[in-house]
Amino acid sequence: MAQIEVTGLTRSFGELKAVDDVSFTVPGGLLTGFVGGNGAGKTTTMRMVMGLLASHGGEVRWDGQPMTTAIRRRIGYMPEERGLYPKQKVLDQLVYLGELSGMTAADARASVAEHLERFGLADRAGERVEKLSLGNQQRVQIVAALMTTPDALILDEPFSGLDPSAVDSMVDLLREHASRGIPVLFSSHQLDLVERLCDRLVVLAHGRVVATGSVSELRGAGPELYRLTLGGDAGWVRDADGIHVHDVDGSTALVEPSDDAARQALLRAALDRGDVVDFARQMPALSEIYREVTA
Amino acid sequence: MTSAPWMTVARREIVTKLTDRTFLLSTFGLVLILATVLGVQAWMAGKTSEYAVVTSSSAAHQMAGQVETVAEKSDDKVLVTLEQVSDDDAARAAVEDESADVWLHEGDNGWVLTGRDDVPGDLLASARTAIRDATLDANATAAGTSVDALTSGSEVSTTFLDKDADLAGVAKAVGFALALLFYLASFTFGLALANSVVEEKASRIVEIITTKIAVRQLLAGKVAGNLALAFAQMALFVAVGLVGLTFTDYDRFLPAVSGAVGWFVVFFVVGFGLLACLWAVAGALASRTEDVQTTSTPLTMLTMGVFFAALLTSGTTQVVLSFVPPFSAILMPMRVLDGSAAWWQALVALAILVATAALVVRVAARLYQRSLLQTQGRLSLRQAWSTPE
Repeated sequence: MAQIEVTGLTRSFGELKAVDDVSFTVPGGLLTGFVGGNGAGKTTTMRMVMGLLASHGGEVRWDGQPMTTAIRRRIGYMPEERGLYPKQKVLDQLVYLGELSGMTAADARASVAEHLERFGLADRAGERVEKLSLGNQQRVQIVAALMTTPDALILDEPFSGLDPSAVDSMVDLLREHASRGIPVLFSSHQLDLVERLCDRLVVLAHGRVVATGSVSELRGAGPELYRLTLGGDAGWVRDADGIHVHDVDGSTALVEPSDDAARQALLRAALDRGDVVDFARQMPALSEIYREVTA
Repeated sequence: MTSAPWMTVARREIVTKLTDRTFLLSTFGLVLILATVLGVQAWMAGKTSEYAVVTSSSAAHQMAGQVETVAEKSDDKVLVTLEQVSDDDAARAAVEDESADVWLHEGDNGWVLTGRDDVPGDLLASARTAIRDATLDANATAAGTSVDALTSGSEVSTTFLDKDADLAGVAKAVGFALALLFYLASFTFGLALANSVVEEKASRIVEIITTKIAVRQLLAGKVAGNLALAFAQMALFVAVGLVGLTFTDYDRFLPAVSGAVGWFVVFFVVGFGLLACLWAVAGALASRTEDVQTTSTPLTMLTMGVFFAALLTSGTTQVVLSFVPPFSAILMPMRVLDGSAAWWQALVALAILVATAALVVRVAARLYQRSLLQTQGRLSLRQAWSTPE
């Protein structure tokens, strides 16, 4: 499966280093989420991948080969700032964009009809784009990125401005395209969505990659924490061997055992002392990790 | 089969324009105005004026006969009919009830033309000539000499060093008309081109397009599309004009004019292409439609300059400018038209124009490419030139 490899990508605007030595891979067949705050460098990176901005260092490769215009032409791209010809009819401009991507007019027409149908826009094909609601304009833009059966997808904030049902059809579409084995990279602010959807994450802060990996890898990357809830006071755990206590609050303690034996010993000791209501691994939410790595 | 990207772009430019009501209405409106002007000319040329002259004495009737001869000789579209009635009252009544246009009769000192509320100008002029000649003749005979003897040596005639002065006048008129068309075309299509470029920038669709095709292809397509449209529109105007001319008195000049129109076409294509690239850059330097006004000001001035140079220059200035792009685009074909430039001069000017256009295209492509993705406000030329890609 094809993959996009980004190595050491760097870009400055004047004094500001917007993207600084960014490296990551977008593997084929997986959904890769691109996360980071405003100004973290997501859009600049995506623009460099798409060849819209020249890089000041580093490179973008496609399956080990330098990325070319011909390959980029086969990538479905959705820019952050949305726009289509406001005065042109939906069908006409989608067919135009399809033709620019190398489709024949007939193929483009068929593909547009199919995609508009999916997004419930089939009856709006003859309308001017400016007559559509913003949400529907966004859907048209998504169709523009997907209609060519692209070899990869690079989508800048594809979910912003979509209502929940449109988000669901978008998710289905992205999964469907990823299942064809193509690399899919999308940026988003919506961490819950990213957590639900993504196979992999690339977290960007101040122009640098601060974390990469699958959601479970990221969540499991921190210390192994356990929450112990007892029938009585939990203050005694502070004295247990091989246990680092993060927090004790009445009958509840957040602990970090040094190894499996220490964890087992702690549970046995708790059972000896009385009632154990709950003893479970604590996985941090993605948002916590995000706050931690981007801080 | 898919066509080259620039052809797809050009096709979109053309289709968009052809489905734009404003464009269609303005084109139709201009054709209508042109047809009306030529129609009025043709109608005026084809119209026969008929005048009925009534007289009430045989002396007056005889004089009216001479008026008829003079009038019909001076203009073959004038017809004079004569009627003699028995007395002054009957003649007056004929004018009164409009069965006659004028009543020719003797006055106290000479002759009088009595009309109902006006006497037609060309009839009056013919009457003056005829009556003066006849009276002079009679007076000369009475004095024992002849008119020829009296007026001998007083003749003033005109000759032109230029073999066909009329043709020169027509050449000038046609030249101005074509200069005006070039000005209108490069201005209206240029401005539309700049606006369509900024529309793509403002709507950010240019980001999608430029990931699919090279910026040069986009520029080439837009220029080619607008050139084709401008050319078609101008061909329409010229065709209407030429067809219209065949119905007027000027049709005899058509063969002389149409050869030079060929030169005009060639210069138009290259000159328009050169200016169109600059208009595209003016659009790319702006970020919003409102900015186009500012970024295109130098170009507006240049386009107007070309037009006024065509209108106002003469002599050496005109000869020099007819080799300098973009002025040559219109001045050289005008000089070919009025016969002051030889074919080789036209070729030299064309070569210079083509070379300049090629250079401008390269510079424009660079400026266009570098400013196209800058969406923060207006760019100066210097900024656009030095902006990294």
